[in-house]
Amino acid sequence: MVFDTARRGFLLLTLAFFLLPFLWLAMTAYKPSNAIFSIPPHLFFTPTLDQFRNALRIFDVGSLVISSLLIAGGSMLLSLILGVPAGYALARSTHPAAMGVAYFFMTIRMVPAVAALIPFYLLMRDIGLIGSWFSVVLINCVLNTAFVSWMMFSYFRGLPKELEEAALTDGCRQFGAFWKVSLPAVRSGIIASALFCVLFSWNDFLFAMFLTRLDSKPISVALLSAYGTKDITWGTLGALAHFSTVPIVLIVLVLNRYFVQGLTKGIN
Amino acid sequence: MNLTSSVDSKAATRLPSVSFAMRRKFFLFAMALPAVAYVIALGVFPLVKGIWYSLYEYNLLKPARTHFVGIDNYVNLLADADFRGAIANTVIFTVFSVAIELVFGFVIALALWRDDRFNRACLTLILVPVTITPLVVGLIFKGLLLADYGMVGYYLAQWGITDPRGLFATPSTALATLIFIDIWEWTPLVALILLAGLKALPGDLLEAAAVDGATAWRTFRSITLPLMLPAVMLALTLRTIDAFRVFDSVFVTTGGGPGNSTNTLMVYAVKEGLSFFNIGKASAISNIALLCVAIIAACFILMIRHFDKKANGR
Repeated sequence: MVFDTARRGFLLLTLAFFLLPFLWLAMTAYKPSNAIFSIPPHLFFTPTLDQFRNALRIFDVGSLVISSLLIAGGSMLLSLILGVPAGYALARSTHPAAMGVAYFFMTIRMVPAVAALIPFYLLMRDIGLIGSWFSVVLINCVLNTAFVSWMMFSYFRGLPKELEEAALTDGCRQFGAFWKVSLPAVRSGIIASALFCVLFSWNDFLFAMFLTRLDSKPISVALLSAYGTKDITWGTLGALAHFSTVPIVLIVLVLNRYFVQGLTKGIN
Repeated sequence: MNLTSSVDSKAATRLPSVSFAMRRKFFLFAMALPAVAYVIALGVFPLVKGIWYSLYEYNLLKPARTHFVGIDNYVNLLADADFRGAIANTVIFTVFSVAIELVFGFVIALALWRDDRFNRACLTLILVPVTITPLVVGLIFKGLLLADYGMVGYYLAQWGITDPRGLFATPSTALATLIFIDIWEWTPLVALILLAGLKALPGDLLEAAAVDGATAWRTFRSITLPLMLPAVMLALTLRTIDAFRVFDSVFVTTGGGPGNSTNTLMVYAVKEGLSFFNIGKASAISNIALLCVAIIAACFILMIRHFDKKANGR
């Protein structure tokens, strides 16, 4: 009983440690400017929406969010289209090379972003795609496809073969067996994969920073450039950060189950 | 009649079954091909080109001076004090953040082990740092820890706990602060992986130990910890590789400074490559980082397999 109380107390302290810094930034967005720069800093203030007005006046938030959505959504879709069938094939193939290919995908996912970015930047420059959000989708897709293939490989491997054997009678039904029997059975794996692709692409700024231009930059890059500008306060930044952080935190909180499952199953 | 029908059906299936296996192979190959081709074309091909670039003196700002220098870029790096500093910073950062995350994460996982409503709510909320954009995480701590009007940094400086210039502006504390940020962001992930490991433990074994009157500590040391090794190794692998290629939080908060006190390999490579357009040198730095990550990954994968064999007897 005493132990249980201590355990809960510890967990509440831990929660405070992990949540308070985030809440601080969220709160900054509702402070009037004079409260943000007061010395000494104080906790209490009258909430205002001025910072949001400022942020919307200075930034074209709509187009920033749309770029972010295009990058995250586009790379998620392409990665699922490429990665899910590959994961299925690797899990079902008895060829000795299949395991090697699966490890190849896992290794690619671990490549440091910078190592891929410099040659990729030059490649995109040569084919004239620098400056478009599409180039960011293309490079995000390399890492995401590798990740989805590996993760779906784990999910399909855990699926009993008997399930699709009945449906596997002739050539034209092979894809049917995959599409109608196996795919619905690993629905949670697909949701988890999609979630991780979106999380990864939405949160990235390194690729986007060097591959996009003014009109195609996502919200993460805008945040970074805003930070370096003198006339933008922490309040404006906090308001802008709402648009980049709140959607993703909400998605993960709602799909929490898939997030946890994907993390523990996909990497095992 | 019975006999003939079975022979008939065998004869009927033998030929098609051979071609079925062939078609099956072809089908699976066709399913895997697009992903493999894509990753090779846009992932492996640029990486191989990166090796090529690293053998040249290649600066985008002076295109006429592109010439082959062999391994000179690598030799020069070994003599480069900034590079050695970046290696040291990266190793210190990785070792300390991963070690603390593992211990702290294990404690949290043990506290969250029992499956009740309170714990499930805690687990959901504790994962928030993992989902926040790393860029925003950097901004949060920059804002909190600034010595002039940061909510925490101001008082730390006023009370003389830290240097008046603030944690990020002092070479002796900047790297430690970055390690702290990494711990804040990724400990929940480690806790989650270890919690999954705890939940997969065989309950009967733990019960048997309790029945035999083993103390909590003894059970933990002799049963829980050995069975948890695969999960611990997994968390260790993921975090080591990610910490080794840390970039976002450093770039946003200190940009490698003050001086070179927080210059990590990735920050150094980005500065050389995409700010100074020194492609040859930057490629050499990233290839060395790539090699390190590959070695770390290979070691850990071998160890995970070893522990898996031991734990499962396979």
